[in-house]
Parts: sequence; structure tokens; C-alpha cells
Amino acid sequence: MMTELLVPFAYEYMLKAMFISALVGGVCAFLSAFLMLKGWSLMGDALAHSVVPGVAAAYMLHLPYAVGAFITGLLAAGGMAFVRQVTTLREDAVIGIVFTAFFAVGLLMVSINPVAVNIQSIVLGNILAIDDEDAIQVAIISVVALAVLLARWKDLMLVFFDETHARAIGLSPIRLKILFFMLLAACTVAALQTVGACLVIAMVVTPGATAYLLTDRFGRLLVISVVMGAVTAFIGAYLSYFIDGATGGVIVVLQTLVFLAAFVFAPRHGILAARRVVRASQVTAA
Amino acid sequence: MSLLTDWLIVPLQFPFMLRALLIAVVAGACCAVLSCHLVLRGWSLMGDAVAHAVLPGIVLASVAGLPLVVGAFAAGLFCAVSTGWIQANSRVKSDTVMGIVYAGMFGLGLVLLTRIETDQHVMHVLFGNILGVSTGDILETLLLGGLSLGFVLIRGRDLMLQAFDPTHARAIGLNTGLLRYGLLTALSLTIVVSIKAVGVILIVAMLIAPGAIGYLIADRFERMLLTAVASAVASGVVGTLVSFHLDASPGACIVLTQATIFALVLVLAPKRGLLATRRRMGLLARQAS
Repeated sequence: MMTELLVPFAYEYMLKAMFISALVGGVCAFLSAFLMLKGWSLMGDALAHSVVPGVAAAYMLHLPYAVGAFITGLLAAGGMAFVRQVTTLREDAVIGIVFTAFFAVGLLMVSINPVAVNIQSIVLGNILAIDDEDAIQVAIISVVALAVLLARWKDLMLVFFDETHARAIGLSPIRLKILFFMLLAACTVAALQTVGACLVIAMVVTPGATAYLLTDRFGRLLVISVVMGAVTAFIGAYLSYFIDGATGGVIVVLQTLVFLAAFVFAPRHGILAARRVVRASQVTAA
Repeated sequence: MSLLTDWLIVPLQFPFMLRALLIAVVAGACCAVLSCHLVLRGWSLMGDAVAHAVLPGIVLASVAGLPLVVGAFAAGLFCAVSTGWIQANSRVKSDTVMGIVYAGMFGLGLVLLTRIETDQHVMHVLFGNILGVSTGDILETLLLGGLSLGFVLIRGRDLMLQAFDPTHARAIGLNTGLLRYGLLTALSLTIVVSIKAVGVILIVAMLIAPGAIGYLIADRFERMLLTAVASAVASGVVGTLVSFHLDASPGACIVLTQATIFALVLVLAPKRGLLATRRRMGLLARQAS
């Protein structure tokens, strides 16, 4: 029985998948703390879909996939900002139109030239069969993003919570926001390989939201979020060995279950706690 | 001239192309009517969430031997309702809750797909399968699309009132809960109908672009509705024909046609277009000097 559970650790591809997933899960979770507080959750989803044509083009031209993804990600973000500025349309509508147009371009390219790229692995991720070249790119992107986040997270926090104060002490909000979106694009690109374009949103949202239900201090929120992101990604990749695939699905289902547990049982912000407070106040009132 | 007619006529000689065009037009029209309400309410991305969330429903329905639309519809509605409930009972922001719920459901769908043998091809659910629709599919589309269209058109005025002035809507005795869930039900039905046409990932485009095009061109809701439906129907036809000639994904071609129309309207719209705004600014500047 024990040996059966240890089988995944005997395979090099499984070890690679588990550690890369954990790394990506941790970095995305770090970012998620900022993303969900700002209400920008759907930007993560939009960027993940927008990079698809870039990834497809990069594979067709035999370039590193991250380069193509990054270029189209920035183009899409620029496109959204432009359309947003010239119309009175709501922001969510603008985001929706731009990212679907980009995704459709990617799908069109792949459908015309289906040999070069496997669209399924872009959309659903395929970490169990990732080749070394792509794995190295994911690792580099994640480590760089993590380093930048560790160096600048206090500045980002200041800008996101109190822009006036941040400006007063000499930080540039615009520059930090641009930095944040570059980091988001980088994380999306890394997460694409792990869970696929459709599920990136969970990696960059769920851990932060879970931690938000468990603590009121931002420092602790970051730690809880990163630990949860890395651990769920690691275990998810491990479990996916036994069901033979759908790594992204397993990771995201795990994260959602942890979120739901926090939603119900969180000591102060869970629904059980809220019910207790209501009942206690009824007792004192009576 | 003959080249153009050939371009149009040749595809129409295939029965599968006729069925595809019919589905593209019906699904496009249903989505367009709904998109006007979604764009004005700021519900644009609700369509994205519900569309992804239908996946586990489709898998479970196919295991249970139920009609797929039943499973898809139930899952879509479940996503919308549980998002609202979690949001009301926690301090997490609404867009974040939406992302968590639909990604969780989509992930569950993927896991179920690898565990359970079904005849459902995941690629068909993701990207649509408009060239492979049967006559039964068409009947289903007409029935469900008609239901959703009927509700949204008949209760259109009430929905508008609720969107713009919820207090007034309640004051005159409208059942706002019924309207809200009615609209969510119509949304789920429309999505179920459109999966065959463009697949779950691109449905959100059909649920936003026509409404946005209508919004940029028209000043009155009725005109916005007409413009939206016209642009969606035209995109459905043009997109499907283009995909036939390029041998490319029909879903991508339909969505890109809509995006192209949107881009043109963005620049050329008579009052709200880029050029019109610029002209107005120039006039103002000249008057000022």
C-alpha cells in the first residue's frame, strides 16, 4: 500500500511536474493576494486567454513559447486600455470583447495549421508531458517573478491600499501598476503550462481569497496564500498520476475545496462563525 | 460577379452547411438579444462563468443517460446561483467568487472526463461542433432558444427598468427576484443552445460583442436590440461561410467577424465612434478660438 503511494516519486517526469506545479502555484498565489483585493480577478482570466495566439505562433516558428505569449499578452492589455479609453462601454464588456478576439485568432491559426500545435495542451495544460525546454522557461519565469515580488511587495501593497500615501513617500503608482501587470502576465504564462488557459484564473484568485477569509493581516494573508497555492499544486500534480491526467483540473478542484472549507469553517469570517455571532446577539437581546 | 455567387452558392449545396448556418443564425440572434441586457447591466462576464461551468453537467448527464442540455442547464444555473449565495455570505469580492466557482466547476468537469468514459468529445464542448449538428439538434436549438428569447423579449421593459432603477422597479410591484433569476435562466438556456455553434470558451464573445455594437450605434434600446441582432446574424452567416472556404474553425471565424464589426463601429459609429468624437472636438476647438 505504502509503496503504491510512493510510486509517483519514482518517476522523473512526475517529480518535475510536482515541483514545477508547486513553484508556479506559489508564485500565482502570491500575486492572487493583490489581484483579488483590487477586484481585478478577471484580468487574469482575460490575459490567460489572450496569450493563446502568441503561444501558437511561437510553436509554429519554433521560438520559445514564453516570448510569443508575453508579446500577445501585452498587446491584449494595451488593446483593452485603448478601447476602454475611447468608449463609454463598461470595463467588463471591453475586457470580454478583446480577450475573446485574441483567443479566436489563436484558434483560427491552429485550425488552419493543426500539425504544429496541440491546442488541447494550451487550453487544458499538460504538465505531465512538458518537455525540458518548456519546463526551464516556466522555472525561470516563476523564479524571476517571485524575486521581484519578494523585493517589491511592500511597495505594491502601499500603492494598492493607499495611493495618496504611496505617492507622498515617493513611489510611482503608475510604474508599480505596470510592474504588477507585467508580473501578472508572467505568472499567467507560467501557469498556462501547468493548468491550461481555462483554469489559470483559479491559480491567480483562489488562494488569495481563501487566505482573505482566514486572516485580517496582509503579511499573514500572503504567507497562507503562498503555502496553500504551492501545497495544493504539489498534491494536485501528485494525485493526477493516479487518475492518469487532468493535472490542472485536479489542482483547481483541490483549491476550490480548500476555499469552500474556509468559507464554511473560517474562525471569524466563515458562515458558521457568522451564524454563531447572530445567535449570540439574539441571546443577549432576549 | 459569378465569383461572388459561387463563393456564396457552393457551400449551400451541402446539407451540413445549411444546418450549420441555421444554428449560427439562431444561436447568434438569441445571444444578441441577451447581450444587450448583459452589457447594460455589467453582467458581461457572467456569461463566461456560466459557459465554463456547464462542463461537469454535460459529463454527468451523459453518464446518467439524460439529455445533455438538462445537465448543462442545471450546472449553469447552479454556478450562477451559488456564486450569488457565496458572495452574499462572505467578504470576498463578486468577481473573485465568480472566478473561483466557475474555475472549480470547469476543473471538476475535466477530472470527471478523464475518469468517466463518455461519448462527449471534450474538444467539441470547448470549441463547438457546428458542422456536425443533426436535425434533432436543430429542433432543440429552436425550442430552447425560442423559450429564452420569448422571456427576454416579453419582459424586456421590466428587465430594463430593474437594471436602471431597482428601487423604482420594486416600488411599482415588479418581482425583482423573479426577473433576476429569469434572466439567469434565459442566459443558461442560451449558452446551452450556443455550445454547438462556438463552444464554451467563445460563447462569451457572442454574449458581449453584439450588445456592445448596438450600444455604440443606437441611442434607443429598441434600436440597440435590432442592431445587435442584425450584426450577430450577419456575423453568423459570414463567419460560417468564411470558415468553409478557409477550412478553419467556424467558432473562431464567427467570433472574429463580430470582433471586426465591433472594431469598425468603434471607429466609424455616427455619434460615438472615434472619428465622430474627434470631429466634434475639432469643431469645439474652432468655436472656442
